[in-house]
Amino acid sequence: MAKNLSGDLQVASANRLIDGLVVYLDDAGQWTPRLDRAALARDKSEGAILLERARAESFTVVDPFLVAVTEDDDGTIEPLSLREKIRAAGLTFDAIASEAVRYA
Amino acid sequence: MPDTHFYRYDDYDRALVGERVEQFRDQVRRRIAGELTEEQFKPLRLTNGLYLQLHAYMLRIAIPYGTLSSRQLRKLAEIARRYDRGYGHFTTRQNLQLNWIKLEDAPDALAMLADVDMHAMQTSGNVIRNVTADHFAGAAIDEIEDPRIWCEIVRQWSTLHPEFSFLPRKFKIAITGSPNDRAAVRVHDVGLRLWKNEQGETGFEVIVGGGLGRTPLIGKTLREFLPRDELLAYLEATLRVYNRYGRRDNIYKARIKILVHEIGVEKMREEVEAEYAATRSSALKLAPATIEAIARQFAPPPLRPKRTRVPEVEALKLENRAFALWLKSNVSPHRVAGHAIVTASLKPAGAPPGDASAVQMEGVADIADAYSQGEVRVSHEQNLVFPHVAIESLPEVYRALERLGFAEANVGKITDIIACPGLDYCALANARSIPVAQNISTHFASLARQHDIGDLKIKISGCINACGHHHVGHIGILGVDKNGVELYQISLGGDVDFGKTALGTILGPAVEADKVVEAVDALVATYLEARADGERFVDTYRRIGARPFKERVYGNP
Repeated sequence: MAKNLSGDLQVASANRLIDGLVVYLDDAGQWTPRLDRAALARDKSEGAILLERARAESFTVVDPFLVAVTEDDDGTIEPLSLREKIRAAGLTFDAIASEAVRYA
Repeated sequence: MPDTHFYRYDDYDRALVGERVEQFRDQVRRRIAGELTEEQFKPLRLTNGLYLQLHAYMLRIAIPYGTLSSRQLRKLAEIARRYDRGYGHFTTRQNLQLNWIKLEDAPDALAMLADVDMHAMQTSGNVIRNVTADHFAGAAIDEIEDPRIWCEIVRQWSTLHPEFSFLPRKFKIAITGSPNDRAAVRVHDVGLRLWKNEQGETGFEVIVGGGLGRTPLIGKTLREFLPRDELLAYLEATLRVYNRYGRRDNIYKARIKILVHEIGVEKMREEVEAEYAATRSSALKLAPATIEAIARQFAPPPLRPKRTRVPEVEALKLENRAFALWLKSNVSPHRVAGHAIVTASLKPAGAPPGDASAVQMEGVADIADAYSQGEVRVSHEQNLVFPHVAIESLPEVYRALERLGFAEANVGKITDIIACPGLDYCALANARSIPVAQNISTHFASLARQHDIGDLKIKISGCINACGHHHVGHIGILGVDKNGVELYQISLGGDVDFGKTALGTILGPAVEADKVVEAVDALVATYLEARADGERFVDTYRRIGARPFKERVYGNP
C-alpha cells in the first residue's frame, strides 16, 4: 500500500545539462537517472535543505526542483503527479524506431 | 535530383545562417564550461529553436512555408538518425521537431541544416515565426498565385528584423493563394489571402488578430485589398502598431488578437493606416524586379499535360478497394492535366500523428525524386504532400507509400487526427494527446467505416495553448488536469474553411481518458442517424445543434 500521499515526501530532480536527461540527486550529492537512488526528504524542512543541496550541485544540470513522491512499504518511490511519472518512466506509448518502415 | 524550383540561399542568406551556427556553437561551449548561466543561455538556445522539454532537448526546425526538397528531407533523416532517436514529429506549423537532441550535438545538427539551406531560427521567442502556407501551393487547381513567393519575401524581411526581435509575444503569419483556404489564415496573428479584384489585379486581403490558445479569436479584415508591392510596408506598419501598443504586462494578453479585441478593428485600422501612410513609399515598397527575382525561384516545374484517364489506374481501382478509397481521399486535382497532388498520410491506424522514422523520411524523399519533381510539402495537418505526380504514376506511388506505411486512405477522415505532442513530451502540457489520438485511430481503423462517416476533423491539444488546434476541430478535444487526473473537454463545430471559420463550442463536462473513444463513438452515431444527403459531420451539427449530441454522450438530464 502506498503511504504518505500528503506530498511531504520529496526528491530533487532536474534535467542534465549536456543532454536533458531526467536526473535525481542522490545521498552522495551526485545526479543519477535512477529514481530509486534519489535522496528522500521526509518533511518540508528536509525538502528545503534537499533543494538547497540540489542548487549547490547544479553545475551540470538545469533548474533543480522538488518532486512530490510516495513510498511503498517496500521502499519503492513513485512520483505523485502524472507529469513526474512520465518524466521518470518515459513515453507512455511506443515511439517509432529509427529504422522502422512502418509503425508497429 | 537538383533543386530547380525551390528558393536557394544567396550568399547573404548563407553567411547569415553560417555565422549564426558558429555563434551558437560558442554559446553552447560557454554554457557547458559554466561561463554562462542557464538564465543567460536560455534565450540564446530558444532563438535557435532549442527547447528543454520533459525528457530531453527538442530542436524545432523551420520548414519555410512547408516546402522541402528531397535533398533537405534526406538531411533531416540523417540528422534524426545521427543526433536523435531516428524519428521526427511534423507539426501544425509545418515544422519538424526532433525530441531527443543533446545540447552538445545541437550546433553540429544546425550546421548540417545550414548545408541544405535550413535553420531553426525564429522557431521560438517573441518574434515573427516561420511563415506557413497552403501545402498545395504552386500545384492547386484553384490557386490564383503561388503564396510561397510572398512567404519567402516575408521570411527575408522578418529574419532577424531588429525592430521586431522583442515583440510583446510571438507572431504567426500564414498566406494562402487560393479561395479554398488550406492555411487557416483566419486563426493567425496575420493571415494573408491573395485574390483578384474587379480590375483583375491581384492583391492581399489582410486579416489580423486571429489565433487559438487561451483566448481563441477569429481574425478580422484589416484591409480588403492591398496591392502586392505594398505588402512589406503594410506588415511593417501593422507590426509597429502592435509593438507599440501590445501589452507586455501580462503574457496571456500580449498577442495581437487581444490588442485588436480591446481597441477594436476600426481603431487598429486607423493606427495601421496612419503608420502605413508614412512608410508605404519607403524602401519597403517592393520593386517589380525584386518580386520577379523571387518568383523565378518558384517557377513551376516543367510538367507537360498528360492523359487524365489511365487504364492501369482504372483497373487497379476496380481490383483494390483500398486504392480506390485512397484516390478519393488522398489525391487532389492538379493545375496541369494528367497530374495530381498526393497526400501521404502520417496517420496510419494507431500511430502517433505526424511522426516519421528516418527510413520513412528517406523513403518519402525517394518517392519525391521518382514521381514528384523532387519536392515534398509538410501540411499543417501533419501529413506530407507530393505536389506534382502524374496520374499514370499513381499506382506506383501508392505501392511505394504502402511499403512505408503512409498509404492510409484517411486524409480528411476521422483518423486523420491533428495532435500536439502533449504530456508525453511537452513541458507545458497538462494531459497526454498522442495516446488519445492512437485510441481513436485504432477504434475507427476500418477504412470502409471512415469513408462512410466522411470528412470529419478531430483535433487534440494537451493544454490550453492549443498547438493541436482543438478550437477549430469539427470535434475538438482539450486535455486538462483536474486534481492530478487527465480529463478531456470535447467541443463541436469548429472549422477553418474560409468563409465558415468557426470556433467550437464546449459540449459538456470533461470526460475521463478511457471514455474519450466512447464519447467520439456516440457523437459519430448521432451524426450518422441524423445526417441528410451530402452533409458532413460539421454540417449536421450546424443544422441540428448540440443537444442531440449532448444527450447521446451524457444521457438525458
